[in-house]
Parts: sequence; structure tokens; C-alpha cells
Amino acid sequence: MSIKHIITLFNREVIHGPKDVTFIMVVVTPILISLFISLAFGNIFSEKPKLGLTDLGNSQIVNLLKENNTLLIKEYPDEAALKEATTSGAVDMGLVLPADFDTSLIQTNTLKANAYVWGESLAKSRMIIPAVLADTARQITGANVPVEINSISLGDEMNVPWADRLFPFVVLMAMFFSGLMLPASSLIDEKQKRTLEAVNITPATLGEIFTAKGAIGTLLGVVMGLIILALNSAFGNSPLPLILMLGLGSLMASLLGLLAGAFIKDMNTLFAVWKFGGLLLFGPAFIYLFPQIPQWIGYFFPTYYILKPVVDLSVYDAGWTDIALNAGISVILVVILLVAVSKVVSRMSNSALRLYT
Amino acid sequence: MNFSVIKALLKKDFSLFLQNRFYMLMTIVGLVFYIIIFFIMPNKVDEQLKAGIYAPVMPPAFSILVADPASSLTSYASLEEAKAAVENGDSQVAIVLPADIMQTWASGGKPEVEIYYASSAPIELRDAVISLVKELSYIQTGQSLTFDTNEQVMGQDMLGEQIPMRNRMVPLLAIFILMMEILSLASLIAEENEQGTARALLVTPMTVPELFAAKGIIGVGMALGQVVLFMLLVGGFNSQPLITLGVLLLGSLMVTGLGFLLASLTKSLMSVTAWGMLLFIILAIPGMGIMFPGLISNWAKVIPSYYLTDTVNRVVNYGADLSVVGGNLLILVGFTAVIVTAGIVVLRRRYQ
Repeated sequence: MSIKHIITLFNREVIHGPKDVTFIMVVVTPILISLFISLAFGNIFSEKPKLGLTDLGNSQIVNLLKENNTLLIKEYPDEAALKEATTSGAVDMGLVLPADFDTSLIQTNTLKANAYVWGESLAKSRMIIPAVLADTARQITGANVPVEINSISLGDEMNVPWADRLFPFVVLMAMFFSGLMLPASSLIDEKQKRTLEAVNITPATLGEIFTAKGAIGTLLGVVMGLIILALNSAFGNSPLPLILMLGLGSLMASLLGLLAGAFIKDMNTLFAVWKFGGLLLFGPAFIYLFPQIPQWIGYFFPTYYILKPVVDLSVYDAGWTDIALNAGISVILVVILLVAVSKVVSRMSNSALRLYT
Repeated sequence: MNFSVIKALLKKDFSLFLQNRFYMLMTIVGLVFYIIIFFIMPNKVDEQLKAGIYAPVMPPAFSILVADPASSLTSYASLEEAKAAVENGDSQVAIVLPADIMQTWASGGKPEVEIYYASSAPIELRDAVISLVKELSYIQTGQSLTFDTNEQVMGQDMLGEQIPMRNRMVPLLAIFILMMEILSLASLIAEENEQGTARALLVTPMTVPELFAAKGIIGVGMALGQVVLFMLLVGGFNSQPLITLGVLLLGSLMVTGLGFLLASLTKSLMSVTAWGMLLFIILAIPGMGIMFPGLISNWAKVIPSYYLTDTVNRVVNYGADLSVVGGNLLILVGFTAVIVTAGIVVLRRRYQ
């Protein structure tokens, strides 16, 4: 295998390949996904009840509620905006605080407000919001708390906010978008245009062609993963193992892409495979998102062994020893895929390419 | 328009699909997977506070909370039982009141209340329970706060009848199935463009409208067939089946138009993949908004798929009728007409 040939083929793909494809895969998609996640998903998995406030005066309770941190507080400029937010479910409850809210609270011990409740708000949210509101209002009235409370944690499990759990999936999605789709669609495209046969009759071997395409997929996967990590400042405490896991994941993706590209005849079939295989690949993401699903189901998905170390490294601040087993299984899976790809390349090299087109 | 020509073209495309058994298999398996995802998703909403209380003497203010069905507060017979319930996940939080709580209050002291919480429970849940305990203690010690509020429930009050996550996912999964057909149709056309078979077809007696009609029927047929099968299996036609079918038909037409547009605006199959993925992400946004209410605001209404997913959601999950979704349907018809026309015009120009 000639490194020079691989570099030439790599350059051919990068320089003369479709620029819009690379631009979308490398720049637009990761930024879009990352923005979408950070802007939109930041709070959706939070179990905190959401309270919307429109303060017609200048009540102290707004800042006190924000400091309290038990509820998610959103402020709205007017009652109409608050009503709209409550109707859409952006908040569980919307409160319009009158201009004399604090005065009324201090003078008459009365919490006076117009309240809008989202029809789909959970029962527990409807119970927690008034309790927290009343508790916070006591700080304004200066009431003396009649009880001492000690809170004691039981168990060793750590609570991880959903926003943190979701993040590695975005990295996984970014890796597989480019890592898998690019080599697969590039191979299918070349097979359909018969350019693969043309390249194969040059001194470049089929193995070198596959290596160049796989290298591009892997590199793009890693670059996309790194862009997303950088955009979210999420390298955790162990950036090196995290980057290595990204590399391993991207390699797995591009090897799967090469296998798909070798066997699939046309793009329609690739999309059909993506429709099914995409779910297979992102299965662990669903399992992580919804704890009600038995977690052992994750063991059946190959990406679990990439995803788990990534989650452990970026969320749980794990180290090498913690991820060793899953990383080891990932390496074994990648080696199996490498053997499979080399077998396919060998078979394709020994027989007429057209048999596979 | 010569229908026998369209029929011949349909026969050709259909036999191409049938010949590719792997594609057929993957299409079916993909659909089965969507259905499996639907069925493994939670089918109920856990809307109550999973908490418990151990109180050798129950103060009256606290007994109100125990009696409140919304709180789902379990009363435990011993401290060990309360702690065990937290440890094995039956309760996320357990409130433990001291035996002398009433005497302490009576003597003007502050009783010490313990709150046991699972380390895996969200910290805000612990804080919320602390607020609850404090508030009940205020009430018990005669320091209750008066609530002078006018409360108005916005939308249908779904207390106790919350829509499970899997039902919320139906519009999103339906649009995923439809959107994959944009990619399939666009790549089918792009492939014919690249290989020159489209131009070859046009030198036969077949006209451009006949070509579009055939491709349109294939696109709509493939999209509608799959999405209807999915909706049938997940119970998507249980409410207002005709409206649901009509919306899905419009959605299939829209994705066919988008397939035409994508095929005409891209130069190669690779470009179809890249631009198609981008289109996929954008069109999926309204579906995510349905899964997570309040996630997206009015700007999402510029995305044509909003009217498709919103209508499917309202009809399937809330049983809405034409009077509710009529406006949505009109806008969807308008968007579909514009997209299909634009797709045909642009693709036609490319052929010429």
C-alpha cells in the first residue's frame, strides 16, 4: 500500500470532490446541531417546574425566585406574551405580579397575582410552584422559619442533568453523519459513474482507494466532533481520551460506511439502510434519554461501547481505567470491521468490479 | 397526457424497486424499527411527586398533603421503611418528622425534620420538597399566607390525562418517514439525470408532464404507503381518520415537491445526500417542538412541515376536528401547491 497514492486519492476527494457536500457536512451540520441543542435543549429535560413572570412593578420576588433555583424562571414583558408562553407550554404557570405586589404581601400577608396554568402542566409542578412561591414570599415578609431541615442523600448514584446526558449524542450524531455517509455515498457515486473502475486501472489499488475514502470519513467525523466539543467547551477533565474515543467512533463510522458503500448498489438503498441502520446506531441515545427503557438493551448496539466512554469522560469525569473495558470492546469492534473491510476489498480486487455494481 | 406512457414508466420504476430486494427489505425493516421505537417508549406520564413520609405524629397540615391525590405521598410505618423506599427507588424523597414535633412547636421551638433523598434524584426535587415542608410548617404554626389569585387554565386541562411521550412522538416519526422519501425521490431523479436516462426518455414520445406525473405518483405512493402503514399500526387513525389521511396525502405531495426541488438544485448524488440531510434537520424542527412543548416559538411557522406535524398532533393526540385544524390545512395546501409547482418548474427547466 503506497502512502503517496493514498495522499493523492485523498487530495482528489478533498480538492476535486463536491465542495458543497464537504461544507455542509463539516461546517453547517455540526453548527446547526450544536446551536439547536444548546439553544433549545438546554432546559427541556430539566425536571424543574417552569414559572413565567410578568412584573408590572418592581417586585423583589423575581430575583429571589431566580436565586432560589428550584424553579426555572422566565420573564415576559407583558401579559399577552405570558399568556402565549403558557398556552404553548413554554412555562407551567404564568404569574402577572401587580405593581403593588410587595406592598400587599408585607402589609396584608397576601400573595396577589393573576395566574395562568398550562393545561398540560404536571400535577407535581402545580403543587411545587405555589409551595416555592409561598416559601420565597416569606423572605419578603421576613417570617421566621418554624422548622430546621436536614437533607440526607441516600445511595451512590449521581444525578446528571439531561442537557449533559444529551450532549454526547450530538457528538455521536455528528461523527456518524459525516463518518458513515460520506465514504458510503462517495463509493456508491463512484460505482454508479464507473469512476471506481477507472481509478482502479491506475497504479492505485482498491485498498488505497478505500483507505483514502475511509480516512476522509474518519477525519471529518473527528473534526465535526471537535467542533461541537469546542463550541460547547465540553472537553471534560480528560480531553485526550475523549479525542481518542472520537477517533475510534469516527473510524467505526467510516468503516461501516465503506462496507455499506461496497455492498449497496444505489443511493436509494443507502437511504433505506440509513433509515434502519441509523436507528440501530442511535439506539443507545434513546436508551440514555429515557431511563424507563431497560439499560441492558444498550449492550446490543455497537455504538453503545463508544457512547458510554464518551458519556463517562465528558459527564462523569471518568479516567482511563473507568473506560478501559468499553474502549477495549470498541477497539475489538473496530478491528472486526477492519478485517471485514479488508476481506471485501480483497474480494473486489480479485474479481471484476462490475460484479459489485 | 397519455396514461399508457405514465403506466409504462410507473411499471419500469416499480420493477426497479422490486428488483432491488435489499432496498425493499431495508424499507420494511426501517418501518418495523420505527414501530418498535414507538412501542418501547413510555406509555404513561409520571406526573406525580414520588415522595413518602414517616411521621409518628402527623400534624394536621401535613395530613392534608398525604390526603392530596396529586402529591402521591406515601405514609411509611417506620424510619427504616422510609429509607428503604428511597434506596430502592419507590420514593425519590422521604420526609421524616420527629415524634415530638407538636410539643416542640407548642413550646416555641423549632423541630428538626429530616429529608432523605435519592442521590440520583434531581436536586431541584429535594429543594421543592424542602419548600413544601417549610410551607406546611408555616401553616401548622398559624402563619399561613393568603393567596389572592385568579387562576385560568390555558388550553385543555389534561390533569390526569397527560399525553405519553410515545404519542407525542407520532408526528415526528411520521415526518421522518415522509422526509426519507424526499431523499429517495431526489436521488432517483438525480441518478437519472446523471446517467442521462431522463433525457433519453424525453426523446421518446413521452412528454415532460407525463414524466413528472409518473415520478409524482411514485413519490407520493412510496411516502403515503409507508406513513399510512405506520399510522395504522400505532393507532394514528383512531381519531378523525379522514382528516389524518388527508393531511398525510398533503404531506406526501409536499415531500414529492421537495424531492423535485432537491433533485433539480443539486448537481450530483453526493449533493443530494448533503443538502437532503440539511433539509431533513430543518423539517424535523417542528416535530421536536411537539415532543417538547414550548421548545420552539412562532418562527417555526415559516417551516412548511410545521403545519403538517401540528395538524397530525392536534388530530391524533387531541382529537381535533376540521374547525380546529382547518386553518392549518389551508396553509398546508398553499405551501404544498407552491413547493410542488416550484419543484416542477425548476426541474423542467433543468431538463430543457
